[in-house]
Amino acid sequence: MKKSNILLGLAGSLILISLVAWGYQIYNGLIVTNMRNSFSWGLYIATFAFFVGVAAGGLIVSSTVYLFNIEKLKPFTRIASLSAFASILGAGAMILPDMGRVDRIWNIFVYPNFRSPLVWDVIVISAYLLITFLSVYVQLLPDRKKEGSRFLNGWTKAHSQEEVEAFSKKWSKRIALVGLPVAILIHTVTALIFATQASRGWWNTAVLPPDFVSVAVASGTALVLVISLLAVGKEQFDQHKGAFQIMALIVAGSLVVHFFFVSVDLIIHGWWGSTEAEEILSLIFSHYGYLYATELMFPAFTMVLFFTEKGKRSYRALMIGSVLLFIGVFAHRLMLMFPAFNAIPLSLSIPGAGIESWAYPVALGQLQEGMPVFVSSWAYTPTLVEYGVTLLPFGLVLFVVTAALKMYNFLPQKRSM
Amino acid sequence: MRLGMVIDLDRCIGCRSCAVACKSHNAQPPGTWWNRVFTHGASFHQAAVGKDGALQMEYLPVSCQMCDNPACQKVCPSGATYTDERGVVLIDYERCIGCRYCIAACPYGVRQYNWEDPKKAKERAGYEKGYEYGYPADFRDKDGRLVYTPNRPVGVVEKCTFCAQYTSRGEQPACVKGCPGKVRIFGDLDDPSSEVSKLVRKRQTVRLKEELGTSPKVFYLAATKPIR
Repeated sequence: MKKSNILLGLAGSLILISLVAWGYQIYNGLIVTNMRNSFSWGLYIATFAFFVGVAAGGLIVSSTVYLFNIEKLKPFTRIASLSAFASILGAGAMILPDMGRVDRIWNIFVYPNFRSPLVWDVIVISAYLLITFLSVYVQLLPDRKKEGSRFLNGWTKAHSQEEVEAFSKKWSKRIALVGLPVAILIHTVTALIFATQASRGWWNTAVLPPDFVSVAVASGTALVLVISLLAVGKEQFDQHKGAFQIMALIVAGSLVVHFFFVSVDLIIHGWWGSTEAEEILSLIFSHYGYLYATELMFPAFTMVLFFTEKGKRSYRALMIGSVLLFIGVFAHRLMLMFPAFNAIPLSLSIPGAGIESWAYPVALGQLQEGMPVFVSSWAYTPTLVEYGVTLLPFGLVLFVVTAALKMYNFLPQKRSM
Repeated sequence: MRLGMVIDLDRCIGCRSCAVACKSHNAQPPGTWWNRVFTHGASFHQAAVGKDGALQMEYLPVSCQMCDNPACQKVCPSGATYTDERGVVLIDYERCIGCRYCIAACPYGVRQYNWEDPKKAKERAGYEKGYEYGYPADFRDKDGRLVYTPNRPVGVVEKCTFCAQYTSRGEQPACVKGCPGKVRIFGDLDDPSSEVSKLVRKRQTVRLKEELGTSPKVFYLAATKPIR
């Protein structure tokens, strides 16, 4: 119990720091970030995409149980739904500080432009938030009735415990089955925000949405895995070994698919040999080589580890593999931004002058002593304020998961022990 | 009506008067330029590029290309960016939520964001106290949407409006008026007798990044200077 109080305190302070940083940003404008006109999306959107990704796990794990009848995973459907709900809440919260005029956000609902993938994303993410909440709610109903909890639970008074249990069982399944396509959609649509833009060669590929789904299945399942490991603890690890092995296999298997997509994407970017594509490849392999290496090597290590017998049977290996995967996936989300924005779309070749790709300089939007106003690339690194604001989803996820695990029983068979 | 512009690259001397006229008429804050002129291929403006003694120096003015298929408008979640009845792509400064999706979508890098309150930026730039520049009044379109205001709200996107405050009453945009070389010709592309229509019909024109299918309404007459 003590441990959870410390975690709640930590989560609270993360949220507090982020809100203070956000307040500072609202007061001064987004000038306090290091984003500028030529590099207009940064850490916030990358973090948003990261949390959308890890939100997948919930319904992927739950629906695997119902679709493929994998009973071993059943004890973890509650944790899975909880991790999904917390993550999508974090993703939704992360998008708000990126808006320069968050006070006018209602304009999306009053004057929606349905050709904008951003509007579809708002719709599917809201739907997912609702579905994952209902999923958690329905699964907790029987326990909460037993405890006599009244909050949002009043209607169960008129029903017997058996009736409520049957209701919970039936609706958990229904929600999981409706939720699965929505889970796929949140990644597809989030990827389409980027993939639809022909101005950015790095994004403009049909492989981006399926790749987002594969990364989401891997990282989302890994989050369920980590929370489950922590909830179960080392002592009861052996009891649920089978479930953890299946989760590790889902992670490793979807990483295989991910690396397949990455390979075909790189081949298609590189094969034709256009100067634009060459510029992108030089950005990812030389300029941002370390970050790209992180994106590739860490998940690759996890993939191999989770396929080995030793890896998927050891508490520590599963933990380390998952954490490395999160780092890799976060690097993957950051790498959505760097090669896209530092390849200026308006580039020209000048025949006869030996100039194949000259980027037309873009005005930064800021005048500062000693700095050029027009640039053809921008060495974006987040500011302290951006790091501060970015703590918001981390704090929220930690808070929601810890508070829920503390208040309710998310591992059903603990009761019988 | 489809307002468009023809830019005669043969006549451009790279003086950047259009950029300055645009900047001051439209009260752009420091660091913000709706209109840019660079020597293409060069790392410095007015520096020649080439090899083996075959040097060349050409200028390319770039502002909003007023696409008929504007990616910026299609991505805008709140409909703040729209095309008016004259074919001009505009931004409603009271509708924009500042998500900057349009900046990512625009292939021409012409969209500019108000990263801070423009008044603060102007103050910091050290202009003389009380110095205000640009068209002094708000301008709203026929539906009352705010498409020009001398100091834009913090956190919204702005860009060239074809000088909506002037062209809506039949005047020419500031860059056209301010160009000493008569490089820019502005008019209605739907009217076959307009000068822009005639030039587009008769002369070989280039549109930027045409391969992206954006269908800009800004046409460039290619420089014909022979290089020998």
